[in-house]
Amino acid sequence: MRAERAGFGGVLGALVLLLGHPGGAGGAQSPQNRDAQFTLRSEVDARKIGLQDQLQLTITVEGSGAPDEIALPPLVNLDVAGGPFSSSQFSFVNGRTSQSRSFTYVLQPRAAGKAEIGAVQAGGQSTQPIAVEVVAGSIRPREQQRQDPFGRDPFGDPIEEMFGRGRTRAQSARVQMEAMPSRTRLHVGEPLVLTYWLYTQASVADLQFKEAPQFAGFWVEDLEREKTSPSGEPATLEGQSYRRFPILRKLLFPTKAGELTIPSSVFRIGLARTGFFDAGGTLERPTKPVTITVDPLPDAPGFSGAVGRFKATASLDRESVPLGEAATLRFRVEGTGNLKWVERAPELHVAGAKVFPPQAKSDLRTSESGVSGSRTWEFVVVPETSGEVKVPPLAFSYFDAAAGRIVSVATEPLVLRVEGGTVAAGLPAVPAASAPGRASGALPLRSELDQRSTWAPGSRLLASAVVLGLVLHVGLWGLGQRRGAGYGGEGRTASSRSLRQALRELERAAREPMSKEQAAALVEKALGEAFGEIADGDDSARARGVRALLDDVRFVRYAPQLGDYSEKVKDLAARAAEVVRRWA
Amino acid sequence: MGLRVRAALAAGLLLAARATVASGADRFHDANELVRTGDYPRAIAAYGELARSGSESATLYWNWAQAASARGALGESLWALLRARELDPGDRAVERDVDRLRQALNLDKAEIAPEPLAVASRFARRFRLDLVALGLLVVSLLAHAAARLGIAPRAGLRVAWTALALALAAAAVPLLGSFARPTAAVVRRGAPLVDAASPSASPTGTLREGEVVPVLETSGDWLRVEDNAGARGWAHAGDVRRLDEAPQPPPQG
Repeated sequence: MRAERAGFGGVLGALVLLLGHPGGAGGAQSPQNRDAQFTLRSEVDARKIGLQDQLQLTITVEGSGAPDEIALPPLVNLDVAGGPFSSSQFSFVNGRTSQSRSFTYVLQPRAAGKAEIGAVQAGGQSTQPIAVEVVAGSIRPREQQRQDPFGRDPFGDPIEEMFGRGRTRAQSARVQMEAMPSRTRLHVGEPLVLTYWLYTQASVADLQFKEAPQFAGFWVEDLEREKTSPSGEPATLEGQSYRRFPILRKLLFPTKAGELTIPSSVFRIGLARTGFFDAGGTLERPTKPVTITVDPLPDAPGFSGAVGRFKATASLDRESVPLGEAATLRFRVEGTGNLKWVERAPELHVAGAKVFPPQAKSDLRTSESGVSGSRTWEFVVVPETSGEVKVPPLAFSYFDAAAGRIVSVATEPLVLRVEGGTVAAGLPAVPAASAPGRASGALPLRSELDQRSTWAPGSRLLASAVVLGLVLHVGLWGLGQRRGAGYGGEGRTASSRSLRQALRELERAAREPMSKEQAAALVEKALGEAFGEIADGDDSARARGVRALLDDVRFVRYAPQLGDYSEKVKDLAARAAEVVRRWA
Repeated sequence: MGLRVRAALAAGLLLAARATVASGADRFHDANELVRTGDYPRAIAAYGELARSGSESATLYWNWAQAASARGALGESLWALLRARELDPGDRAVERDVDRLRQALNLDKAEIAPEPLAVASRFARRFRLDLVALGLLVVSLLAHAAARLGIAPRAGLRVAWTALALALAAAAVPLLGSFARPTAAVVRRGAPLVDAASPSASPTGTLREGEVVPVLETSGDWLRVEDNAGARGWAHAGDVRRLDEAPQPPPQG
C-alpha cells in the first residue's frame, strides 16, 4: 500500500495545483526563465469549435511576483463574451506551499475559419499564440458550454468563496476511478495493459488503496506510468467532463484460459482544501470489475509456451578448439512476448562432444507490447574427438497470436573444428578454466610410481586384536591366581611394603647384637613376610631356595650354643636378603 | 602335488607379479608423457585406469592432480590431492597443493574438512599407530608371560602393563578415526543437488566445486550427501568422488 501510494506522488503534486480549471484542451506556456518567480500559462478548452459555440480562455499564473492584472491578449476572429473571472488558489501539500491565480474569458467566434489567441504578456514573460479552428454551426454539447469553469458561480457569494463552500464537499465532489483494460479478449500468454484512471473535477491531495487490486490468473508486470501532461487530459465519463490522470498501469499476462475477472479495487481519495475553513475531505471510490476472456493455446510437440514474435539464433564463440578445451554455444531467442516464461532451452546433443547444462542470461525490458529483449542460453561443449564436431539445428516454437498458429523456427547447423588426438571414451570431461598457480612451465610431475605397501590392519582387526590382548592378559593373571602362586610360578607375590619391612628386619638381624635365637627368629619372620607359606607340593626353584634357607635358619636357631654364631647369622641374613630381592 | 610343480607355480606367480608391477610403472610413465605433451584428457584417463587396477598411490594422484589442474578442472585436481593425502598423510607437498587449490576455489578450510574425526584417522595413518598398537600389544603379552614364567617377574610385569597402556592409547586414535563418515569431493562446477537418486529428480541446490561433503548413503550411481550449509540431497557419482576408495569406472548418464 505504501509503495503504491508513493507511486502516485508525482501525479498528486500536479493535481492539487491544476485542478481548479478543468478546461484546457490546448494551451501555451511561457519559456522557462531562471529569474522568474512565477510561471504564465494560457489554455483553451477546445481547439475546434462551432460558430455558435463559445470558447473558454484561461490564463493561469503560478508562483509569486506576478502583476495583479493580466492584459487580454490580442484576439483574431474572436470576441469577448464574458469575463474576466478571476480565481486564486493557495495550496499547502507535504510542507510545500504554492499559489496560483486564474483569469477566465468566454470568447465567441465571429466567423467560420481560423481564429487565434495571441501571446499573453506579463512580467516580462509571454506565452505562445493559440490557433483555433472555427466551423459552421455548433459542435459542442450545450451542457459543456454552460459548465462553470471553476465548478461554482463566478458571481456567487464572496464570503463563501473566501471561507470555502459547504462542509459536505467530499460527498458531492465528482471524482471517479476506472480500471480500463487495453483489450478484453486474448490468448493465454498474450499481454494486456490495465490502466487505473482517476477522473476528477476537484483538487486531490492524497490517493491510496483501500483494497489493492487482485490479479488472480495473471502474471503481472509493472509498467512505468505514462508520461502525460501534469494537468491530465480532458475526458468524459457518464456524461460528465473530467480531467483524468493515469494512476497505475499493469502489464498482465493471463496464465490460464477462461473468463478471468479482475475484481473491484477501492481507492481512498483525499481532497485538497480550497478555503481557510475547508478541511478538505476523504472519499472512497471503487473501480468496476473487469472481465477478460482468455482463449487457450494450441498444443503441439516441442512448443515452448512462448507467445509473441521471436527469432532464434545460435553461435559458437570460436571456430576451432584444441582437444580437451571447451567451446561455448550460445542459443539466443529475441523478440517481444512473454519471454520471461520460457525457462527451458531446447535439448542439445552433439555427437562426439559432451554438453553441459546451459546457463541462461536475460536482457529483457517491459513495455506495453509485452516483454521484449533477448534470452540467451550458453552451453559448454567439450569435444571428445578430434576433427569436425557438428552442432545440429536448434528448434524453437512459439505461438504467433496475430497469425493464430504455432510457428517453429530453427537455427543454422554449426561446425566446430577440434584439433588434437582422440580422447578415451567415457572420460569425465570438464570445461577448461584458468588454472591457478602454475600458469607456465613444466608441471611438477613425479616420475616413479610409488608402490610401497600400504597395508593396514583396519579398525575391525585392530579392535579385535586389542580385545584379544586384553583377554590374554586377564587369562595370564587369572591363571596365576588360580594356582595360588606369585608371578614366576613360585608362590604369592609380596607387597612392596612387606618386602621393605622384610629387608629391614634382615638388615637388623645382621647388624644388631642379639642372640643367635633372636637373629634366626627375625630372619625366619622376614622370610615368612616375603614369601608366606611355601606349599608342600611347590617344587619350583624359588620354593626350593626358600625352603633350604629356612632349614639353615632353623638349624642355627635350635642348635646348642657351642661357639660364636655371629658370622653365621650375618651370612644367613645376607642370603635371605638376596633370596627376598630375587624371588619376592 | 609334486615339489617341482609347486616350485614352478610359485615362480610363475612371482614373475606375473613382477610383470604387473612393471606394466603399471610403464603405463604410469606413458601417462606422464601424455601430460608433458599436453594431452591431459588421455593422461587423466590413463591415471584413472591405473588407480582402478590397484596401483593407487600418492604419486599417482599427485600427477593426476597436476594434469587436472592444467586442464582447468580444479575440483577434480583437489579431489586427486585429497585422495593422495588419504594414502600418504605425511606428504607435505600434497598438503601445500591442497591449500593452494582450496584458496583458488575460494573455499574455507572447514569446507574441505567436514569430518573432524577424519583428522584423527589421517594422524593414525601417518604415524602407523595401528601397527604401533599391535606391536605394543604383543610386547605387553610377552612381558606378562615372561613374568608369569618367573623370568624377571617384577620388571616383566612393569613392562607388560606399560606396553599395554601405550597400546591402548595408540589403538584409540585409529579406532576413533574409524567413526568418521566417508566423504567425497565435488569435481564439477555447479554440480546439482537433487531430491532423489534419479536422472529425472528435481534440483534442490548446487554444490560448490571442490567442496568436501560427507556421504550419507549410496544408491547406484548416486550419493546422498550433505553440503556445508546443511542441505541434504543426492548427487551423481560423476559429480562427486569419494575420498575413501579408489575411483569407480565413469558412471553412465
